[in-house]
Amino acid sequence: MSNGYIDKKFLVIDDFPEFRRLIRRMLESLGIKDIDEDGNGYSVIQKMKAKAYDIILCDYNLGQGKKDGQQILEEAKHRGLIRYSTIFIMLTAENTMPMVMGAVEYQPDDYLIKPITKEILMRRLEKLTKRKADLEAVEKAIRKNEYTHAIALCDELVGTNPKNILEYLRLKSELCITVGRYDEANAVFEEVLSMRDITWAKMGRGKVHFLSGEYLKAQEIFQTITEENKTYMEAYDWLAKALEELGSPEEARQALIMATEISPKAILRHQSIGRISYKIEDYDTAEEAFKSAITIGKNSCFKSPTDYTGLAKALVKKDSSEEALAVLGNARNEFKGDKEALLQTVLTEGIVFKNMNREEEAKKAVQEAAKLSEGLSGKIPVDAAMDMAKACFEMGEKEAGMKFVQNVIRNNHDDNKIVRMVRDVFRDANLEDEGENIIASTRAEILRLNNEGVGLAESGRLEEAIEYFEKALKGFPENKIINANAAQVLMMHMKKNGKDDQRLYKVSQYLDRIKKSDPSFDRYRQLLNMYEQITTSGMELKT
Amino acid sequence: MGKTEKTIDFPAFLASMAHDMKNSLSMLLNTLDEVFLTCTDKNCPSHKQLSQVQYEATRVNYNLIQLLTLYKMDHQQFSINISQYPVIELLEDTILQNKPLLDFKGIEASIECDEDLSWFLDRNLISGVINNVLNNAYRYAKAKIKIRAAEKDGFLVLSIEDDGRGYPVEILGTGEQTKKDVSFKTGSTGLGLYFASIVAMMHKNKGREGFITLGNGGEYGGGCFTITLP
Repeated sequence: MSNGYIDKKFLVIDDFPEFRRLIRRMLESLGIKDIDEDGNGYSVIQKMKAKAYDIILCDYNLGQGKKDGQQILEEAKHRGLIRYSTIFIMLTAENTMPMVMGAVEYQPDDYLIKPITKEILMRRLEKLTKRKADLEAVEKAIRKNEYTHAIALCDELVGTNPKNILEYLRLKSELCITVGRYDEANAVFEEVLSMRDITWAKMGRGKVHFLSGEYLKAQEIFQTITEENKTYMEAYDWLAKALEELGSPEEARQALIMATEISPKAILRHQSIGRISYKIEDYDTAEEAFKSAITIGKNSCFKSPTDYTGLAKALVKKDSSEEALAVLGNARNEFKGDKEALLQTVLTEGIVFKNMNREEEAKKAVQEAAKLSEGLSGKIPVDAAMDMAKACFEMGEKEAGMKFVQNVIRNNHDDNKIVRMVRDVFRDANLEDEGENIIASTRAEILRLNNEGVGLAESGRLEEAIEYFEKALKGFPENKIINANAAQVLMMHMKKNGKDDQRLYKVSQYLDRIKKSDPSFDRYRQLLNMYEQITTSGMELKT
Repeated sequence: MGKTEKTIDFPAFLASMAHDMKNSLSMLLNTLDEVFLTCTDKNCPSHKQLSQVQYEATRVNYNLIQLLTLYKMDHQQFSINISQYPVIELLEDTILQNKPLLDFKGIEASIECDEDLSWFLDRNLISGVINNVLNNAYRYAKAKIKIRAAEKDGFLVLSIEDDGRGYPVEILGTGEQTKKDVSFKTGSTGLGLYFASIVAMMHKNKGREGFITLGNGGEYGGGCFTITLP
């Protein structure tokens, strides 16, 4: 056990070849054989895509103007290149880096401060491999979407290994939030805070309030954290989110600007500043923020077409339409092959043309956009779809705009926040009455589908009910109620007739969609329990 | 034309220099470690001098770390990162880190700590304090250093004793006066003790905060540094 790391696949990342060689020699002297190395943030990601490394040793500072270790960690996590079992160790020459201070959202598993000795490295590897082994059962449950089970396993670990109680409680709280068990998450945070004043637990309480829609309470907590802990970057982002919900975009933006002064490289923060500035009609700041986002976002996985379309829209407002077109031309290059990005770009081009009174080209753009969107419906994120609807309405393309909105409503008919957004868009386009009709008829249709499908299930015609809801999903792919019903009838069928791997997989997909749309949906919890009863039972496989 | 305005932010300039120096030192220390792989005290006549170089470089390194940390604290760019750690692991790690130098000086370091003792602390800051105290202890200790850790009345009491000649009488006590003692003449800047007392005070819990005490005597009759954390 003590040298469980010997057969692991290692990746060493540092911009100094001598330093990489040094670490390599240390590892080799510990008996490790599989060691790759790299010094460049861009090729590192490629390497990680090609090979699933077990242990990654990454230097924080990879040279001026280059990606740093934290950005690599975030990008790798975002791209799913870091598994639960992967060990990521940050190496740093300094002890005042944000991750040493615990002030970033994505923490490495550990950090080591240079100079690093072989003995220390060996001990850390031992400890970390053991820690990962302790968590193996939890991670396995998470991989199988058995969240209830995973939470129970965390409780067990708290009992058996009190020395690491905080780590298990933190994991448990994260899991509870993932599946919308906010009260339980909050109880964990309270428990931790009764032991000690710990910032992540305070953050957690704020997040729970936010997720439960208690924005004022959330805002107060995040505010306090930024005051006590000026370098705790995550708190500024949440503070801004809460302030926006409370209808104070100017203050939200102020919080984000403060954060960028402390930590200027976070692209998502520049994107938010640009978005809010545009909303409050401060086009100069919007322009500046989107330009920063574009510069920082080069080669980053967090770059977004909205950086370019946002910039273009701000430029239009500043009567720089020619420049806006040039920006959109860059977007076409930057996101080649990405249909959704192209769609957004084309629509924004339409707006620019319209503004320049180039009606012919504007019309063409809308037609191209309509064509592009056909192959995409359902997959467009809500924010982007709403932006596109707005663009269509602005250009007088009512029908095309309606299509986008309709999709959003179909998938989110009972999400009050989204429905409110939809109503705002309709109002701005002077389509209030029509909008209300669409919302009402979509709701009625879902109710009807629901009743009919449930009727089939209740009269014992389960196969038919399954077919019915699967067909309904085609029209409402992300709708949580339809997904919940589809999952439920499949499971009722399996309870009666035995497990079926293919159907079980479908259920887990449907549950995942509910989780993404509204983890606190009360039926989700029941369905998850039902799912886990089936996966963990010794039920016969259907042959 | 008036006088040239003062444009350099001197503390920021110093901090950035310190950062750069620290990078060079890291390379230097790592290279020394490599040299020691082939240069042992038996086969290499320069071993002793190189060990001396390593000792001095390590001292400079710890000083730079403290300077940088204090700079960031002063500019509100620092947050303390309290988490729960097994104390024995922290102590063993620190001893391991200092092993080459301890061996060189022929000093035997021992730990007295309950295996199950864990505490809420900032690992990085506390190991910085211990490193620094150990590093000073090399100068004065003859053959023995002992680190003790135990819980007492809701505090973690962590002390480092040696068999040297002890601390000068003027600085015995809570180390509060250390700040005043910065003196370029004597070369004693008191930076290490100042840093330790700041770190101790940053550890707060339920209205109580940490502190340091300096004493002489103890089991080995030398200096005894204690940091107490709530």
